Amino acid sequence: MEMLLMGACLSMFGLAVTCLAFGAATRTAAAPEPKLEPVKAAAPSRFFVQQVPLEILLMQIENHVRLEQAAVESFLQTPTPDLLHSRTMSTFIN
Amino acid sequence: MLKADLWNGLSDEEAGLVHALGKRALLTGGAELLHLGDPAEHIYVIARGRLRLTLPMQVRDHKQDVLVEERVPGQTVGWSALIPPYRFTLTATAPLETEVLAFSRDALREHFAARPLTGYTVSNNLASVIGERLQLFQTMWVREIQRMVEARCA
Repeated sequence: MEMLLMGACLSMFGLAVTCLAFGAATRTAAAPEPKLEPVKAAAPSRFFVQQVPLEILLMQIENHVRLEQAAVESFLQTPTPDLLHSRTMSTFIN
Repeated sequence: MLKADLWNGLSDEEAGLVHALGKRALLTGGAELLHLGDPAEHIYVIARGRLRLTLPMQVRDHKQDVLVEERVPGQTVGWSALIPPYRFTLTATAPLETEVLAFSRDALREHFAARPLTGYTVSNNLASVIGERLQLFQTMWVREIQRMVEARCA
């Protein structure tokens, strides 16, 4: 009889521990999720980025080609490693 | 007589004979002289005005002819007419009223067959024109690759 009571007590103790553990686990899962920032707010908005007008872009390309040719012709007149990679004032790449 | 890179080194008499093979053509501003991919039957020497050599590029969903080189009086355009597969590899447009001398491949070949020394000199001049173009674009290409390397390593 004593053994039976001791077993019952231990069972009750085990059940209590299990309930506490379950409660703790359930509280963790039910905790409010961290507030996520909306993606739109995090990403820079491209909608308002002003594009260079097509005509201006084409003029920049044309100007770039002319400057590159001038730089290359300068290199071909006096071929040196420095002149080969000399910089230009091109707004297309700078 | 027009001073042109194509008959550089020829005597006045020989240069005059080559010059006489050319047929004058007048282009109004904006007119196209030759088009990328078209059969190339004539080589041209610019007598007056200017020619823009362009290649098509895709710019913001638009096909645009982008300038790759400009040619001025005395310079030669359209040497694809003398080199297989005889197709133009770019487009030439006159931005303003321009006059050119058009030389047909057949007329030049016939003339050079009869005068090999003239043919040799003109061929050398043509090789110089092509060589200059090669050096120009080879160097431009290397400069562009250098910029790509710098952008990737930045």
